[in-house]
Amino acid sequence: MQRCFASVFLLAIFLVAGLTGSALAQDLQAAGLATGSSADYFNQLMLGITGDWQKYGELFTFLQGQWFSKIFLVVITAVPAVFLLHYLIIGAKHFDHDSEPIYFFSLFARVVHFVAAVSFTLLVITGLMIVFGSFFGGGFIIRMARYIHLISAMVFALPGLLMFVMWFKEMLPQWHDIKWMFIVGGYLSKEKKPVPAAKFNAGQKMYFWFAIFGGGVMAYTGYIIWGFGASLDIVRIFTMVHNVLGVGIVAFFLTHCYMSVFAIAGSLESMKTGYKPKDEVDILHSLHKY
Amino acid sequence: MAGVANTWGYGAMTNSLNDMRHAKSFIFIGSNPPEAHPVSMQHILHAKEKNNAPIIVVDPRRSKLAAKATDFVRIRPGTDAAFMLGLINVIVSNGWEDKEFIRTRVAGYEELLEVVKDYSPEEVENITGIPVEQTLHVAKVLSENRPTSLTWCMGGTQHSIGSSITRSFCLLQLVLGNMGKSGGGTNIFRGHDNVQGSTDMCILADSLPAYYGLSEGAWKHWCRVWDVDFEWIKSRFYEPDYMQKAGFTLSRWYEGVIQEDKIHQYTPIKAMIQWGCGANSNSQYHKVVQAYNKLDLLVVIDPFPTMAAAACESDNIYLLPSASQYETSGSVTSTSRQIQWRYKVVDPIHNSKDDYQIMELLVNKLGFADKFYKNIKQVPEDITRELGGGSLTIGYNGQTPERIKKHMANWHTFDIDTLQAIGGECDGEYYGMPWPCWTDEHPGTPILYDISKSVAKGGLPFRNRFGDEKTYDSSGRTENQLAAKGVCNPGSEVQGGYSEFKDVVPGTNWKTDLSQKTLKDAIAKGMAPFGNARARCVVWDFPDQVPIHREPLHTPRPDLIAKYPTYKDKPNHYRVDTRFESEQKPDLVKEFPYVITTGRMVEHMGAGAETRSNQYLAELQPEMYAEINPRLGHNLGFRDGDMVWIESPEGGKIKVKAFFTERVDEKTIFLPYHYAGILMGKSLVDNYPEGHAPFAVGECGNVVTNYGYDIITQIQATKDGLCKVSKA
Amino acid sequence: MARVKFLCDVDRCIDCSGCVIACKEGNHIPVGVNRRRVITLEQGKPGEKSISVSCMHCADAPCIAVCPVDAIYQRDDGIVLVNKKTCIGCGYCFMACPFGAPQFPKGSVFGARGAMDKCTFCAGGPEETFSDEEKHLYGQNRIAEGKVPLCAGMCATKALLAGDADVVADVYRERVFQRGSGANAWGWDKAYKKK
Repeated sequence: MQRCFASVFLLAIFLVAGLTGSALAQDLQAAGLATGSSADYFNQLMLGITGDWQKYGELFTFLQGQWFSKIFLVVITAVPAVFLLHYLIIGAKHFDHDSEPIYFFSLFARVVHFVAAVSFTLLVITGLMIVFGSFFGGGFIIRMARYIHLISAMVFALPGLLMFVMWFKEMLPQWHDIKWMFIVGGYLSKEKKPVPAAKFNAGQKMYFWFAIFGGGVMAYTGYIIWGFGASLDIVRIFTMVHNVLGVGIVAFFLTHCYMSVFAIAGSLESMKTGYKPKDEVDILHSLHKY
Repeated sequence: MAGVANTWGYGAMTNSLNDMRHAKSFIFIGSNPPEAHPVSMQHILHAKEKNNAPIIVVDPRRSKLAAKATDFVRIRPGTDAAFMLGLINVIVSNGWEDKEFIRTRVAGYEELLEVVKDYSPEEVENITGIPVEQTLHVAKVLSENRPTSLTWCMGGTQHSIGSSITRSFCLLQLVLGNMGKSGGGTNIFRGHDNVQGSTDMCILADSLPAYYGLSEGAWKHWCRVWDVDFEWIKSRFYEPDYMQKAGFTLSRWYEGVIQEDKIHQYTPIKAMIQWGCGANSNSQYHKVVQAYNKLDLLVVIDPFPTMAAAACESDNIYLLPSASQYETSGSVTSTSRQIQWRYKVVDPIHNSKDDYQIMELLVNKLGFADKFYKNIKQVPEDITRELGGGSLTIGYNGQTPERIKKHMANWHTFDIDTLQAIGGECDGEYYGMPWPCWTDEHPGTPILYDISKSVAKGGLPFRNRFGDEKTYDSSGRTENQLAAKGVCNPGSEVQGGYSEFKDVVPGTNWKTDLSQKTLKDAIAKGMAPFGNARARCVVWDFPDQVPIHREPLHTPRPDLIAKYPTYKDKPNHYRVDTRFESEQKPDLVKEFPYVITTGRMVEHMGAGAETRSNQYLAELQPEMYAEINPRLGHNLGFRDGDMVWIESPEGGKIKVKAFFTERVDEKTIFLPYHYAGILMGKSLVDNYPEGHAPFAVGECGNVVTNYGYDIITQIQATKDGLCKVSKA
Repeated sequence: MARVKFLCDVDRCIDCSGCVIACKEGNHIPVGVNRRRVITLEQGKPGEKSISVSCMHCADAPCIAVCPVDAIYQRDDGIVLVNKKTCIGCGYCFMACPFGAPQFPKGSVFGARGAMDKCTFCAGGPEETFSDEEKHLYGQNRIAEGKVPLCAGMCATKALLAGDADVVADVYRERVFQRGSGANAWGWDKAYKKK
């Protein structure tokens, strides 16, 4: 898990550094040009039509042409691989489901989460379909994927907002979250020791904030990209942001899925029924007051 | 064209577009070929590149041509003659004139000098706004790079002194000795497809086809050609003397209906046929609209409904859909006097009919089809044959339909530089047989007044049209009007000047001898049928015998009126009184402070009925605008793109978008004239037949063009009016 | 095999838009889609220049690199074409293109962009040559007929050159040579113009 996070963050940092670096280099190159030749007229002209291609267009071409799909591929293969390893070595956590059930999620919360889950899953799947469009041969399927991506985004906006309001307080970071992070939520050991977490652990909080803010950014950039609603340079930047953030979101999404479906046996139930076994709460959400 | 014809014989482009490839320098004045004649630019830029030819552009606007020019000279609209006379002044005072050419082929030169000495470069600067140094520079460039090709278009002619301005252009070329030379000449570009052809057929108020005039002799000549009885033609007129009376002109016909100025005709005009006429190219268009509504009958024949169709709100109007040029065939004449055959591509679509069919139906109904179609069995070949056979003055008789079609078929054998066929069926002939093409063996005349070639090979001297001798009023000097001794085309029997040919067949001259014996005789002698004369600087039948500057009627420089007043008012000028002196009011500029000038944009054509109905052209230029200098706009409190009202002294006003550009200076506003569909702020889109409104509609620029007409031709002065501007 | 290229001679282009109209009329392009356009710099000022631009059919075309569905491809002669049936209208090619060549007609769903349309060098598309479908989707296939693209064929001043890159380069080189140095050379004013 740690490695997974680390790799995602490292990739992001590498990308950002790369972006600024090459942009700077291009800047210097552009400034050094002499004026007056027909090539300059052409450059000047192109600035009018296609924005600062040398700054953003080339970078976009480089990233989209060479990197984005590869990075996505790495994420959707490496992350599950890491989890598979985790599952094989450490295995799922089993809790006593006969212990006293504790009412954890209200019906409202569950409905909201369900809608969010479906739309978010669709977003991720269709998003990945677009990224790997050539794999599917493009055309009708991918065009549909784009439409579904748009609809899902619009659908996701409402539960996203509701979750934000509903869980805002519980999701605020606390000091014990740091401790949680040091032990990576106890997922690296088979021992069942109480983990420092209240209703939501630090991992969930990270996902929450990533999904809320990232989701907001994704929604806005996506909206602009959809309609080319800004200058071309802005659209280019937004597209890059959309893709880079997308990498992170996919990683978190996979983590969340793994945690809920495999890592904690029966965890999925709690989102259906609203109840978690006391045993599980005491260990994984030891600070939760019920 | 009257100015040009009166200088040396014919009022047409002297050289050809292709011949401009040989020019060593160019001066364009009142012409913007990149927008109005894009294809000609091929040859102009070729000369610029190959000959390193400087391009001098004289224009109130820094036009698209100015972008390709070596020198741009910004001139105040309507002062072209002053600039030309100033150039001649500089050229003569430096001794740069072509002395031999003037001695042998020019008449009235001393009288010209007398006038020119008043136009010093300093005075020229005062009148035109062109700095002294620039005048000196231009004169030097033209002198050092001969021959110069001089081009003007409507920017030169559409002034109240238009005919003087065009003559001053000719005079500059005479002084520089650039006439009758490859790469030189006055290359007046025609504004539309086949305008040269329709001019040659004299779609004019004062002449029968081929510039024969309206005299009894002219009528009799054409009656012979048409094979109809002169007395019968005469009987068709209200009174016999109306036969020889110039009619209303296109620019002022509406006065014959609304009668704001007094008309000289027994009745107001009651019916009007506009056949292929872009109505909104008329100045003071709002008055034309009044006339539409007062007419008993208005017939518009056009492939697209013109502005007349929308502007006429009474139910007196009929729209006849005619076919486009691709749906019919026939001969057309290009600006270079070349005649081509146009083949039909498709049959007329929808319920349109081609012009021949419409004419036939009309003539049948009017009941003189037997006379009308006497010589015409095969349409349109016989039409070309008949009009060519009669148009001896301009040598249209050599271009038979068969020869024209042969040229079309052998298109590839003609050389792009010389226009001459190299081998093949048309060997030695010039493409399109530029008129005059004297006989059906003549190769055509690619360059007018070129005495380096024999007449049979396409050479010509200046035409002897104005007598053999003249005593000038201004100097009392008598001068022989024929060319000097020894100056003639190679192989000429008479070594020097000679008069026009007549009485070869008794009772006829070269223009009226339908047997064409006179023409053939002359050419056999190596001589031009129309004689060998001098070009004249003094046109004694014009009000200004030598062209001078006169301020536009509506001038932004009232201080110059005293020194350069306009003409006296002209009564009965093409059947209507025309105001000159009484219209020139010094105070007008106080209320109407900006000069208004009009012109073309490349995307639209003429009145725009056709081009504005093309979705792609409409997409490129969707709306009407006024070019305003950013400084002027900001001083008036406008922003780029604001809607503004432009008002003329005649009460016309248009609401248009302000387009800030430095093309125009701070005193000038430029309007494209192609738009229609909105009249003085009111949309007329609903008045078009359903589904036929153009994609692009806008105010007609000509609603705000001013009163003002040339004293000879009565061409409208759309290029130098006054206006005021306010925010809408 | 020869590679094809466009070249617009800035000294010849007079901003008449003849190429634009030829392209649109000849290929029945919807209004709003500009396979080619003429752009003017310094309009109305000294130094005004115009140039006609469209797809440049780049050797290493960025649009091909970024297309997520591999709808864009390059023929052996260098012509870059799009398969409209594969294209999803994502617009990445437009972001990658240095010349603003890719165009998107309005699609039917949620204001989505339709399949990308761009200059085909008048070479039709991936459908069967001269088929109705090719004509409908991509316009004329003049290359298969052995003709130059319409725009270049129509250019009044021969500013727009199209064809075999070597020939185009030769024509242009000859022109530059003919224009000579002196006042016609780029940068001459700057270096030698006397004040």
